[in-house]
Amino acid sequence: MKSALVAVAVCTAVTALRAAAADAPLPRCDVVPGWTQAGPARTYAADNLYDYMDGNSEGYLIYGFKLMHGVTCKSGEVSFVVDISEMNDAEAAWGLYASNRDPRVPVEKLGISGQIVPQRGIFVKGASFVEISASPTSADHSTALRTFLQGLEKLVTGTTDAPPPVQWFPKEALDAASIRLVPQSVLGLSLLKKGYIAKYDYGRAFVVRQASLDSAIQVMQKLRDRFGASEPMKTADEAFQANDRYLGRLLIFRKGAYVAGFVNLTADAPAAKSAQVLAAAIP
Amino acid sequence: MPPGIKLKFAFIINALEFKMSNTASRRSFLATAGLALPAVGLARPADEKQTKKPNTTLAPNTLTKDTTPKFTYRALGKTGLKPTAVGFGCMVTSDPTVVERAADIGITYFDTARVYQGGNNERMVGAALKGKRNSLILSSKTHATTKEQALADIDISLKTIGTDHLDIWYLHAKTKAEQITDDLMEAQNIAKQQGKIRFAGVSTHGGHQEVIPAAISKKHFDVILASYNFTMDPPIDPLLQAAKDAGIGVVAMKVMAGGFRTIKEGNKRWDTFHRDGAMLAMLKWALRNKNVDTTVPSITDFDQLDQNLRAMSETFTPADDKLLAERLQHLAPLYCRMCGKCDGHCAKGLPVADLIRYVSYAEGYGEFDMARDQFLALPDYMQTVRCGDCGECTVHCPNGVRVSARVSRAQELFA
Repeated sequence: MKSALVAVAVCTAVTALRAAAADAPLPRCDVVPGWTQAGPARTYAADNLYDYMDGNSEGYLIYGFKLMHGVTCKSGEVSFVVDISEMNDAEAAWGLYASNRDPRVPVEKLGISGQIVPQRGIFVKGASFVEISASPTSADHSTALRTFLQGLEKLVTGTTDAPPPVQWFPKEALDAASIRLVPQSVLGLSLLKKGYIAKYDYGRAFVVRQASLDSAIQVMQKLRDRFGASEPMKTADEAFQANDRYLGRLLIFRKGAYVAGFVNLTADAPAAKSAQVLAAAIP
Repeated sequence: MPPGIKLKFAFIINALEFKMSNTASRRSFLATAGLALPAVGLARPADEKQTKKPNTTLAPNTLTKDTTPKFTYRALGKTGLKPTAVGFGCMVTSDPTVVERAADIGITYFDTARVYQGGNNERMVGAALKGKRNSLILSSKTHATTKEQALADIDISLKTIGTDHLDIWYLHAKTKAEQITDDLMEAQNIAKQQGKIRFAGVSTHGGHQEVIPAAISKKHFDVILASYNFTMDPPIDPLLQAAKDAGIGVVAMKVMAGGFRTIKEGNKRWDTFHRDGAMLAMLKWALRNKNVDTTVPSITDFDQLDQNLRAMSETFTPADDKLLAERLQHLAPLYCRMCGKCDGHCAKGLPVADLIRYVSYAEGYGEFDMARDQFLALPDYMQTVRCGDCGECTVHCPNGVRVSARVSRAQELFA
């Protein structure tokens, strides 16, 4: 019986992996008339991504990179290097996108979100992170990049909604472009393994989902211990305030399996109110 | 095999065999993306005064605990720089407070690159080190392949970081001697003359045998940044010695055997690699080589930072040696080095090195699908061979890979 269950589990896992890989979109140059493929298509997996982007592959791997399909397209003298990275899931893809977007440049509605600068265009949709690098680098390719990315968007399937926590952060005084998924050690604390952060005029907010209610309770206790004497508060299921040399004035609360809060709060920060708003948004 | 899978498989094989000819264009793009944007620091909105002048009224906690770390410093070649033996690789660091604290407690060398996080890493590092810049050694890198791109890169890096110069500027991730072009070295010379950089460097992740001798022969570079860890072949050591003899500073990266990055927490191997101080032992192993002037381990949190600091005050002991030897036993099967030094040949004609790599794909990286596809691409007769058919394996690995066990595992998983 046990071996049968194991076999079923293995088959399920293999099927899922195969399905995911089969779903990975292959970029094409003919998404826009006048573009043709130059050279062979390429595919990279986690263990040979460095062959392609030696020195930068870690930034992809840390977010849960699975596969990259790419082609180089040409139209006259202009060359687009098109790559679609298939990530473990839509959250991972969004995380990679958010870590690569320039917070000073407006985003565009491409998939979940996209961004175009003169020689580069990126967007995220579903579990796919799409990027184009354009050359020659002396020219502004924004218009062509936009058209091309819109064509690629049709090839890519998956959600066009950002991960839910992105919407949970209180809107007032929020720097919306600052929201990121931190893949490891949120706020530099190994206790907070993976989660979202956002910047405000008055500090930084974070949301981390623990594996279970029990682990969230344990993490809260460890945080209390770590930050020493703290002031209890009435926010969500439990909360405390403390001061830290690097994280400044902080307010941390737990709601169910989520640990969240604000750090580096300025003296006049509406900490309690903001925490209440954030706690209310967390399911 | 479904058509989609077959197509994907063809692409995978293509990728494994084909070294992109246009890699450079992509890299140079990544490096120059965002050109002409204004330099705006992403300083934390926190009260900066709090971080510059510790508030004595703050509650005590482990982050502020005075652990009085002991720092050791080593001369970086002939540069005159004397960084802490443990530096800070910022590539995967997300939170500026970790960088900030490292600088506060005495780490003096920080390394980033133009391409990290689409330029956001340079921005984060610059903001975290704001106000401390002049007391620190800061390096960045360019993937550029032309002089013009490189010179554009240095300007963007300086703006993004918010500094008027870099102490070391590396030509990033060279794997072949011919990638170190006169054009790029001229760009470094121009940047030096303009006061934008103090020293010229070159980095290599996997091209030591070719890149380090080439870099030495150019008589141009002040610093070499090379991956160096306990899993690497001993022939790397003479290369580092040669660099040292030539007066070139040696910075070691990937000292924590970063190749195991894809093993996540929850994977049984994660515990193996992280318990018993093995990570610290890896750093100490690198530092025991006096030809290594400094190291830039990736650091993502305060705990890692605190642990790494210990490498400067603790010596590499026989216990560490034993620990790493044990780890190497775990690691070796994961990482067939494809060195081509297998002793003997498989009596059944199996490509043993390939098969061991397939197991690595499946078990080390979670890429079962790709691994199985590659196994199924072997000639039919190879797929039917079983190690148990032979009385004794005729292939022996000089690096300790348990060949028969690993090949058997491949057959068990994929056949």
